[in-house]
Amino acid sequence: MKIKNIFKFLIFALLAMQLGSCNDNTDAEQKFDQNPTDRLNAQKKELSDVLLTSEHGWKAVYFTDNTQLGGFTHLFKFSSDGKVEMASDFDGDTDAYESAYSVELGSAVSLLFTTKNRIHLLSDSDNSPTDALEGKGYKGDFQFLYYGQENGEIIFKTNRSFQELRFVKATEEDWENLAQNVIMGENVVGGEERPLFRLLETNDGTTTHQFDFIFSEAPRFASANSIETGYAVSYNMGIAYTPTGISVSPAVEVKGQKLTDFVYNDTDGSFTATGTGGVSATIKYTTKPLILTDDYKGLLDGNDFKVYGYISPFLTNAITTSTLCKELLDEINASLPATQQLTRVQLYFNDGGYNYIEYRFSGGRPTLYHNVTTSENAVDKTIVLTHDSWQTATALIPAPALLKKIDDEFTNPKGLYVKKENFKVVYSNVVWTFTSASSNFRITTYALN
Amino acid sequence: MKITKKYKVAILAMTLVAFAGCSHEDQPTESQLDLTKPVQSDLDKWITTNYVNPYNMKVQYKWNQNTVDFNRFLYPPQEDKVKPVLEIIQKIWLDSYKVIAGADFVKKIAPREIVMVGGVNRNTTGTITLGLAEGGQRVTLFETDYVDKTDRENVKQFIHTIQHEYIHILNQTKPYDENSLAKITPSGYTANWYASGDAVANEEGFITAYARSNINEDFAEMASIMLINSKEEYEAILAGIESEEAVAAIKSKEAIVVKYFKEAFNIDFYALRDEADKNTTAVVNGN
Repeated sequence: MKIKNIFKFLIFALLAMQLGSCNDNTDAEQKFDQNPTDRLNAQKKELSDVLLTSEHGWKAVYFTDNTQLGGFTHLFKFSSDGKVEMASDFDGDTDAYESAYSVELGSAVSLLFTTKNRIHLLSDSDNSPTDALEGKGYKGDFQFLYYGQENGEIIFKTNRSFQELRFVKATEEDWENLAQNVIMGENVVGGEERPLFRLLETNDGTTTHQFDFIFSEAPRFASANSIETGYAVSYNMGIAYTPTGISVSPAVEVKGQKLTDFVYNDTDGSFTATGTGGVSATIKYTTKPLILTDDYKGLLDGNDFKVYGYISPFLTNAITTSTLCKELLDEINASLPATQQLTRVQLYFNDGGYNYIEYRFSGGRPTLYHNVTTSENAVDKTIVLTHDSWQTATALIPAPALLKKIDDEFTNPKGLYVKKENFKVVYSNVVWTFTSASSNFRITTYALN
Repeated sequence: MKITKKYKVAILAMTLVAFAGCSHEDQPTESQLDLTKPVQSDLDKWITTNYVNPYNMKVQYKWNQNTVDFNRFLYPPQEDKVKPVLEIIQKIWLDSYKVIAGADFVKKIAPREIVMVGGVNRNTTGTITLGLAEGGQRVTLFETDYVDKTDRENVKQFIHTIQHEYIHILNQTKPYDENSLAKITPSGYTANWYASGDAVANEEGFITAYARSNINEDFAEMASIMLINSKEEYEAILAGIESEEAVAAIKSKEAIVVKYFKEAFNIDFYALRDEADKNTTAVVNGN
């Protein structure tokens, strides 16, 4: 072929391609009636509009991470001028405050709370409820991706952790009763007049199971471990407060039924969730530890020297230090001069054959010792401390009035439950607790030798 | 017509077709995105008058996830705290430079954006980040909800952040004498600077613990600590240091800072310090 012909063919081919390119045929199958921008814009308008539709605004119970944290109830009332009134039960302040919000257009349409309000309390790197969450606050988001509506609820997913969060229509009562959530929180923590021990009891209609129930207030999280050997079931749950009780996440599942809403009974302080066919779950109090340990036996006469010390301030706010114990400690400190404090209470067992309670003070106040004898209450599995004498480092003294109340707890005739705990507080020392068998006194100590 | 000419004509014709071919297409219409300007609040207007217009500096107080570390748990400022904080920055930082370095100085060398974050930026190591300067373009200020203009120490600590970050921005414009600075306390720099406090750092010839992290931070800390303290307060810090060698080291660093400002920008650093001190006092006294 001559070069001339090659050019001819080429030009012809190019011409054909060019003309073909103007064909207005873009009939790739249209999945939607609108293009993506139109659809996003429509979604944006849809969300902006729906936020304004509920007369009393919206309610969201936000569980930021139900593997370690509880739920926080928020109420929102949106205005068309970009302002939002918001209240939450995060702390005792349940008043509504105003801030700004916007509906944002990004890869998805989202609701963003643009200036500070109550919901941002969950996203404060400087306020974390547990050591494990240092720098992470309560892991809260305040930008929520819009995923549509269902049964009058708005479905969002959180921006960072991508969990579902539903906004349900709030009622007038929701706003009026929000403060009651905080009061209910105190019932979940448990009043000081209530017994110290708690259990979760599940009933599947025929069989009941018991679980040792422990609630931590700051993260609003509870763990419940089976006390039965050979039945290794645990329920760990985040707890949200409601005016009538609590709601939990994840649900307590009994015989395939998911129980989430527990109703409070003020008579005995219990919370009960009821399913169908006799299925129920109850969180209730008991005066005795669910599991009685033999840990006390190593402290009886004839064993090795052991010291257990309550040390202020590290152990003052340990969850196992009971309110009664704190009150008695506070009472002692309040009656001391400002420069002096009770810094340690230490229990010595088998120290050269002697047993005694040591009370140590700061500010130069001399240490006091209460010499005791020990005996076993094998039925209740307690160790009983019995008075022998009081002394300073050098001389015998009469019983000091200052220490009477707290000392009476240690030497109560029914004795002390002793438990080696499996958690740590600040330091790596093993934590032991001593609990009165006749009152709500429980003190937290470090094993010191 | 030669063959080449014939093709030239053909190609010309093709080009014409190519350009004309698509002329029947629809012209772009209005944007489908919402381009209406958001309503300006009084605060927004104030920012426009006091930051955007005079300094070409944007202030972002409303949350935008793209300007803040996505993995941190931070939150936007409380709206009513924004203006007081910006007034403090304006008075102590912007006005001081304006008086000493001239009206256009900060305008020319300035971060183009200030991002305000209400809360504390606590790291998982327990340290706290007070501010960030990114590429000389954006300064992020944390803890703006905690600024209390009646408390001199609180105001000083807050202004420290922006003075410090601005020194970095100046350094990115014109370099300082790194070689001389690096020779003064070469063995004192450590990545583990937060293990001990300012007092320990002082005795080693550093103005703060953070100055020990590297020479750039050393320079920025040296300059910013001088700018947030009065002459007397600064001298009191030096007087509290026992090691004479440490004091001498800090004084040598001071000289490098002063020389830098004079040679790079023709600024009398001590006059700038005095102006900032005067303005700090005015802020704390409510003027």
